[in-house]
Formats: sequence, C-alpha cells, structure tokens
Amino acid sequence: MRSQTTRAAELETLATFRDFIDEFCLLSGVGDDACHDLKLAVDEACTNVVTHGYAGMNPGSIMLALDFEPQLMTVEITDFGHPFEPSEPEAPDPEATLDDPGRGGLGLYFIYQTMDEIGYRSGEEGNVLTFIKRLED
Amino acid sequence: MFRNLRVRREPQKFAPDPLQVSIDEIISDASIPVSIRSINNLPDNAKRRLYRALIPIGLLTRFRINPRSWKGPDGSDQVDLFAKPESGLVNLSIWNGEDRDDPIFTIELEDNSLNGIDLNLLVLSDPDAPRFQTDFDETGARTEFGTVRRHLDAEERAMNAGLAPGQTRAGLRASSEVFSHLESFLTLLAHHAYFLEPLSYASAWVFERRGFAYVRGHKLMDEIHEGFQPEGRLYRQLDESTSFRAQDHWNSVRGRAWAIHDGILDAMDARWDGLRMIKQVGRNAGADTYPGGEY
Repeated sequence: MRSQTTRAAELETLATFRDFIDEFCLLSGVGDDACHDLKLAVDEACTNVVTHGYAGMNPGSIMLALDFEPQLMTVEITDFGHPFEPSEPEAPDPEATLDDPGRGGLGLYFIYQTMDEIGYRSGEEGNVLTFIKRLED
Repeated sequence: MFRNLRVRREPQKFAPDPLQVSIDEIISDASIPVSIRSINNLPDNAKRRLYRALIPIGLLTRFRINPRSWKGPDGSDQVDLFAKPESGLVNLSIWNGEDRDDPIFTIELEDNSLNGIDLNLLVLSDPDAPRFQTDFDETGARTEFGTVRRHLDAEERAMNAGLAPGQTRAGLRASSEVFSHLESFLTLLAHHAYFLEPLSYASAWVFERRGFAYVRGHKLMDEIHEGFQPEGRLYRQLDESTSFRAQDHWNSVRGRAWAIHDGILDAMDARWDGLRMIKQVGRNAGADTYPGGEY
C-alpha cells in the first residue's frame, strides 16, 4: 500500500501530515506506537526542511510518501529547497528542553531513536530523505 | 551513515558541465545526463534524429506533416529547428500552411545553471480557432505574453472567448501527449526531472494537473486560493473596475488568472514572478492548490 501527499513547505503543513499518517496507519493496520514514532520523525524532518531548507525563498512543495509492506514501513520526504549535507556529529544538549532544543537541535537524534534506517540523497529530482521502520508482529 | 546534517550553501550541479563529458564517457555510462548543448554540438542530421522525439507524431499527421521529413503535402518545410552548436537552447516550431510567424506548436528547452533542463516555452494553438492579438499592442510592439505591455481590447476579447492570459488562440488539447514525449526524450538523455516558470495562474494550475510540484511558490499559490475566498483580500479586489476584475472571477481558474494578470496581487504585496515548478520524470506530485477548482 502506498500513498502520497504534496503540500506547501510551511509549519501548518505538519498537522496535515500527522493526520495523513494517522489515516494511513489506520488503513494499513500499523499499531499506535509505530504510528507515533512515524509522526515524530516526519515532524522533525519536515520542521528542518521548512525552517532551513526553504529559508529565504517563497516556499515550494514538500512531498510525503508512505509505503507499507508487511513488517516494513518506508517514509519518503522530498523537497526542492536548499539541500542538506552531512556535517560533524554534535551530541544533543542534555539540558535542552523540547521547546528549546539548544545546540545542534534534536531532530536527527529523535529520528535515529525511532527509525531503523535513514537515507538522504540530493539531485535533479529534489532532496529525498528516506526512513525505514521495521514493524513488529 | 550521516549523524548530522547542515544546509549546503553552495548550489550543487545536477550533472557534470557539458564540456567536461566526452562522447566516450556518455557512451560508456548511460546514467550520465546529457545536456542540450551536447546534442546541439552533434552533426545536423544526428541532432535532428534526436529532436524528432520531442514532437508527438499524432500532432504532425493531424496537419499532414511528414514525421520524418517535416514537410507538408506540397513538399514545403513545416517545422523549424533552432539548435545552434555551442548553444544550450533548442527551439522547435511547427506551423500549418504558410505563416511561420503563427506556429501551432512551439517548444523550447534550455540547459539551466545547475545543468538541469528548463522548459522555457510550450505553445499549442489551434489554427482553426479565432486568433486574438494579445501578443502585440496597438502600436505593433510585442507584449511578451502580456508581461511587458498589454493590448487590453484584445485581452478582453480573448477572455470572453474562454482563453487564459498569454494565449492568442484556444489550445490544441495535446499537452498530455507532449509531456509524455518530453519525458521520454529526457529519459533518453538520463535526466530525472525538468523545470519551468509558469506564465500565469492558469498555467500553474494546469501544470499541477500534469504532475508538477513547486520549487518556489507553493505557499503563494495557497495564499492566492485563500485570498479568493469570499471576503478574502483578493476577493475584495473584484470590484468590477475593469472587466478583468469581475465579481465572479474568484470562482474559476481563468477568472482568477485574468484578475491576477490585471494586477490584483498588489493587495497582498505579492507579484506573479519567482514561481518555479518541477516535474519529476514518471511521477505525479499531486499538488492541488485549488481543490475542486474549475477551469
């Protein structure tokens, strides 16, 4: 089962994406815990795209594609803003709060905590961030 | 595996510069994107063979043009190919009959600064439909699709005949076929996407339906839709002060497009420029900034 939605890259879109994931999880029978993890990871990744990837321009699109196979969920987020590139690791600040994540942010940290595989590529077709979540029986 | 990401400040090119790729490399690696410039540097007949793939055969045969020779029934040329060596631009035009200046089909592609490909122009005009001189003003100067100057009388007649801003005739209803050919052509060149800047609100809406997403301007399109809702900022500009600002224009794609063409985006401190769209080859983005909108 595969589903996709394309919206403007703005913070209001995050709520739409959460609803989209909820509905997809319901239809595909993904449990509440896994669904919560997916929403958290997508929220973090899309916040980065909105606040940094499209900084300084009238925002373009952000595409969210979900693909469900038995025991495997693949999430693909595509945008067309500034690409990201790997940088030196920076540990999250233990004193930071969720509202103020402090140095480096907590985005990728959360994504790594909740997803099993992460991939990123950037090219002519856009910037594509992929997560894989293995689902338990 | 990366543990942290940062925004890349320097734009990254999608493909190597054309001059850095040899014919041998292109032959040995089918995944290297080929530029328009590289094709334009081929011998005339070789590039003509390749560019033939850009024109739907059905379009040519509909006007009794030979798809191989590009000649009409009387043996006269009906297709112009502009693809100069060392240039990154190709322009193909088809005309029906004798008037080269009134093409039924024009497509223009150009290498962009990131070594991707831009669709600069796509015109599909039905030669049997009435023509409106929106492309020249009263003094005979080019209007550049109404972006530089306007021919108001002709625009009003075009609007009343059901055309969108920038059009001189009704379309040929062949854009789906043209995009299908274009994507096959770009796949042949190993490109994964192409880009364009929509001329009008109506063209952006049509390109959404053809599967395009936005590199820039998706949020602006959402704001425009919101502005056209009753009592919204754009809705309030539909004050009948010109025929392009008719009150019922909020409720159709063409109506909105003409009102925007007439300058109502000033009301939200915005302008119709800077929008850029992308089509990923083989994928429909499903963007829909005017849900339920009618043309």
